Amino acid sequence: MMSTTEKAMEAFVHETGGWVAAQLEACTRCGMCAEACHFYQATGNPEYAPVWKMELLRRAYEQRFTIIGGVKATLGLDKRVTDEDLAHWSDLNYEACTVCNKCSMVCPMGIDIGSLLHGMRAGLAAAEVIPADLAAAVTKQVNEGSPLGMTDTVWDQRLEWVADEWEVEIPRDVKGATTMVVFSSIEVMKFPANVAAIAKILNKAGEKWTVSSKAREIVNFGFYEGSEEHTKLFLNRVLDGAKDLGVKRIVVTECGHAYDALRWHAANWIPEASNFDVIHITGVLGELVGSGRIKIKPGFFDNGGKITFHDACKIQRKGGHIQEPRDILKVLAPNSFTEMTPNREESVCCGGGGGVIAVKAADPVRYASFELKIDQVNAVGAKTVSMTCSNCRLQFTDSVDHFKLDWKVAGLSQMVADALEE
Amino acid sequence: MNSQAVLEFARGPFFYFALLFMLFGLAFRLFSVISLGWSRDRVSPMGSKTKGVVVTFLKAFLIWPFIPWVKNTFNRNPLIYIGGGLFHLSLFVVIILGTPHMLVWKSLIGFGWATLPLPIVDWMSAIGIIAMVILLINRRIHPVLKLISGPAEFFAWLFVFLPMLTGYMMTHHIGGSYEALYARHMITVDVLMIWIPLSRISHFVFYFFSRAIHGQEFGKRGVAV
Ligand code: SF4
Ligand code: SF4
Repeated sequence: MMSTTEKAMEAFVHETGGWVAAQLEACTRCGMCAEACHFYQATGNPEYAPVWKMELLRRAYEQRFTIIGGVKATLGLDKRVTDEDLAHWSDLNYEACTVCNKCSMVCPMGIDIGSLLHGMRAGLAAAEVIPADLAAAVTKQVNEGSPLGMTDTVWDQRLEWVADEWEVEIPRDVKGATTMVVFSSIEVMKFPANVAAIAKILNKAGEKWTVSSKAREIVNFGFYEGSEEHTKLFLNRVLDGAKDLGVKRIVVTECGHAYDALRWHAANWIPEASNFDVIHITGVLGELVGSGRIKIKPGFFDNGGKITFHDACKIQRKGGHIQEPRDILKVLAPNSFTEMTPNREESVCCGGGGGVIAVKAADPVRYASFELKIDQVNAVGAKTVSMTCSNCRLQFTDSVDHFKLDWKVAGLSQMVADALEE
Repeated sequence: MNSQAVLEFARGPFFYFALLFMLFGLAFRLFSVISLGWSRDRVSPMGSKTKGVVVTFLKAFLIWPFIPWVKNTFNRNPLIYIGGGLFHLSLFVVIILGTPHMLVWKSLIGFGWATLPLPIVDWMSAIGIIAMVILLINRRIHPVLKLISGPAEFFAWLFVFLPMLTGYMMTHHIGGSYEALYARHMITVDVLMIWIPLSRISHFVFYFFSRAIHGQEFGKRGVAV
């Protein structure tokens, strides 16, 4: 039997190809990445420095793969990884990191710190040293198909209800459709209006689309956790659904982490993933509005005070859909749309991503980091914050409640649906 | 042994040994990293990786150093940024654009180039030394740097600092005969060259990888680097 530490070390070592090693070697330990991290900014806790959060990965690499590292560890100049270390770094990584990759924008060496921090999670997940609430959510997704308890029946009833309530058609399991849309359970369970909005938009555009009862959950708690096995299991459920229906493209709705997993990683784990075009709903909206397939009323949102846009780490900085939301908001609210600072790829994370919002113990730092967001939004005097990620939206609505703010939190798809020309 | 003999040794056999040790050591480090394997990226890109790589290098060398205040990195870390920047600039000016060093290069690679007047080089080396001292103090008091620094960081600092200090003392004839000063400078340089492949001072080799990776990752997503 391997000990917990051995399992973690094995996984760290497994994570370490030349790609990771070259970046670990490039780090000068200058500490500049600390100032990029919203958790460090909000709390001043030096342990929240990104370079420190990946410390165990560095130790594993150096001690296993480099002569100098081996010698140092033997002489006691570099600490061996212990079970206590794993528990401690589990707290640091799952409670105070959203894997937003802002730190990579700041690192003078250009290290893709976010990817290395995902490697940290892979080791911790392999050793099963993860927060209990996150582990429970993963188990739930394994067994029930969704971390939010969206079982077959629940999914069925919710969609039925959405279709009725908003009087919108939601095509199900249509073989031969071009596009398969996979919603997140956050939307289906907590923001059902978003589901209706997306359905309304796609119907209006005349898109041949469908949802799949097999691929009903896009959220991937395996990816939050960092377990390759679970990530693949959940990705395969989506891909199998797409294969069965014979669709060409998969649209990921408002979930950032899921988009990152399916769009930017799946093909490297599961070769069939390259058979499908994967696109985020933000990209679809940009396409539909840009090409004129749907028409939105110019200035529709111009009379409700200032509107700003919150960039989601995984959809904008790590996803590439930076321009589309701006193009759309400039039509919807040409006079009241204002950018926060910093914005676009430099934007600051909401603090709830990367599974952090699912971990109760993270609440204090999650709220603390949201205070940075409050300052940014207040600096432009916005009353409405628009976004394209329902996980951000969960963090926003929860924090707006917590801090008793008078902001409106709006999903971009819903704004577009509301402003559709009949 | 008198200073002359020490000097002969430090700029003769010891120098060549250190030089070869550094070159082979770095080559070995590089080889070890590459031999860990590089899996192919099968994800279809949204933007150009090549463009990302080119742009990130251009920005890193030609833009950010000259207008640092537009970056948050600078505004939140002015000390590390300016200190680190001046230190690297000082190294470049002294080692590449200082006449004595250019002559060493010339003897090694066969050709030389125009250099800067001594007073400029001298001032730059003084600035480099001061920057190093400030960076060390900062490393001892900044909570994050305290946490992430150990003996390795201190030794790396020391072995870079000593050649700078002895070089400056040599130019200004402080602390002994010319031979003695020269010998001291050469010994510290030799030690530094040996230490480079054994420490993180080697980051300049891996920088080209990490920066390229940064360009690829952002470029393939069509995001500005
Ligand atoms: S900013 Fe980059 S080089 Fe500096 S400590 Fe952080 S990861 Fe290492
Ligand atoms: S990825 Fe984001 S949250 Fe994690 S350490 Fe970097 S800046 Fe902080």
